[in-house]
Amino acid sequence: MSDAINSTTARASSAKRHGKPLRATFTSGIVYTLLIIGVLIVVIPLMWAMAASFTPNHKVFEYAYPFTWRALLPVDFTMEAYDNLFARGFGRAIANTFFLAIATVIIGGAVNALAGFAFGRFEFRGKNVLFLTIIMLSFLVPVDLTAIPRYILVNSFGWINTWQGLLIPGLANSLVIFLFRQFFADIPQELIDAARVDGATWLRVLISIILPISKPVLVAAGLLMFISQWNSFFWPLLVAPRQELRVVQVEISLAVGQYGTIWNELLAGSMIAAVVPILLVIPFQRYYVEAITGTGLE
Amino acid sequence: MRVRQQIIPYLFLLPALILLIVFNLLPTIATVVESTFVISLRSGERVFAGFANYNRIFNDPVFWKSLQVTVVFSLIVNPLQIALALGLSMLINQKLPGIGIFRSIYLLPVAVSLNVTAIVWRLMLDQNTGMINGILFNLGIERQPFLHSVDLALWSIIMIASWIGVPLWSLFILAGLQNIPPPVLEAAKIDGANAWQSFTRITLPLLRRVLAFVLVADTVANFLLFAPILLTTQGGPQLSTNLILYETYRRGFVYGDLGASAAMLSVMLVIVFIIVGLELYVLRGQD
Repeated sequence: MSDAINSTTARASSAKRHGKPLRATFTSGIVYTLLIIGVLIVVIPLMWAMAASFTPNHKVFEYAYPFTWRALLPVDFTMEAYDNLFARGFGRAIANTFFLAIATVIIGGAVNALAGFAFGRFEFRGKNVLFLTIIMLSFLVPVDLTAIPRYILVNSFGWINTWQGLLIPGLANSLVIFLFRQFFADIPQELIDAARVDGATWLRVLISIILPISKPVLVAAGLLMFISQWNSFFWPLLVAPRQELRVVQVEISLAVGQYGTIWNELLAGSMIAAVVPILLVIPFQRYYVEAITGTGLE
Repeated sequence: MRVRQQIIPYLFLLPALILLIVFNLLPTIATVVESTFVISLRSGERVFAGFANYNRIFNDPVFWKSLQVTVVFSLIVNPLQIALALGLSMLINQKLPGIGIFRSIYLLPVAVSLNVTAIVWRLMLDQNTGMINGILFNLGIERQPFLHSVDLALWSIIMIASWIGVPLWSLFILAGLQNIPPPVLEAAKIDGANAWQSFTRITLPLLRRVLAFVLVADTVANFLLFAPILLTTQGGPQLSTNLILYETYRRGFVYGDLGASAAMLSVMLVIVFIIVGLELYVLRGQD
């Protein structure tokens, strides 16, 4: 064991004497190998699920056991699963989820941006107390932990199986308020002063001065709200189990129990659920990564 | 003018504060209140019951078993995910050709929901026809009941959670790594530090804050793991994957025992506050 280490060290130092390239190639070879192993773990389940969703149901596992590479490609291509899924009304779930996610981005975005603006640009009595208690506390207590009492509360409003019940409890988002606050606090004061001297109201300053230069935070916050609403599951499962209001995540999860053996449809639904956030994240990955890591590093 | 300016920030805050108070803080308090009520079997009404719900859950072996499973799960999954996330973040922090493509690929699980992950892995881990057993078959290893055996089911859940968790937490650590000024590491190299020394003496200490945050956030997230349990093992076999949030859901929504469910949630709230309190304590010591 220690011989192996010694010989590695010796080889490395002799490589160093002969110049960097050999050692660098050796190291980057190891890095690429490990990276590719990781990529296989990430990509193989997605490729199989995608391929299987375009496969006749009786052939879903055909190339998985025993495993051949054909399992990762739709060799027996058919749209059967998608056709059946839409015939069953899955389009409704997709429309519901889009509606909910877009409404959350627009209404929630306004609510959180206003709060972020107040915390980022104003000095007022009770500011720190409000921030530390209400914003921090709601940030620290995970929403899934209080879902059952929230359900009881929303039930007392008569909001079970309604759009209000799905939408309103998730509008205010302390993470998004954090993002807006940080961004707005860094905007130069002169920009705001100039507009204020011209007699603009604060709401006008926010809309016509600040928002046009806030594209990065708007994209980041919008992505964060859209994707977390698109992927949310526990709350919609509790509050709106009625079929007409089901969102994609609930629909595919209930399908596990109901149509548990129609594998290709289950996977087709899952792939639709997966593709939407992936298509949003990939082009905007820098914004998305900053949005989700931003608060952790403050 | 000045008076108006005094009111304006409150007006801007009002919608968010009302929503957060009603839907986030009130339910937190309601959890604790609800845990002291029971539904009377005779009248069907909610009646105050003091610590009766707590007495019930503390005398219930299923609750203790669930807590035990959650602790064992946490002790395995959190160090595992953080170690792998640290490794992954160091790999994708290398300045190599094509590294951007790798970073994009590792972002895929972060965008995908836990439900989709659980559904796909449930089929991949299928005892009879799943791909993992297919690969084992090719290697001459016999079929494994990944989701149906007491020995393997929790490990399968750990794997499913880590498929998302490792890439997710590596993003945070990567951001931390990129905050380390390159001159610091170059200076260490000039002073003769080898890779291991500069990792343990420079990189790790500088990552302390990020790692502390990730440890707490990861612990809380895994403490509340729910969807993969519902969609794969439903707590079984023999309660070996009956994590605590799933148990509260089962009590509250499958058996309709909201009092016991609320009592368990209150216990969980206390645990989350202890975890978060420890984070704030650890982070405070470093400034």
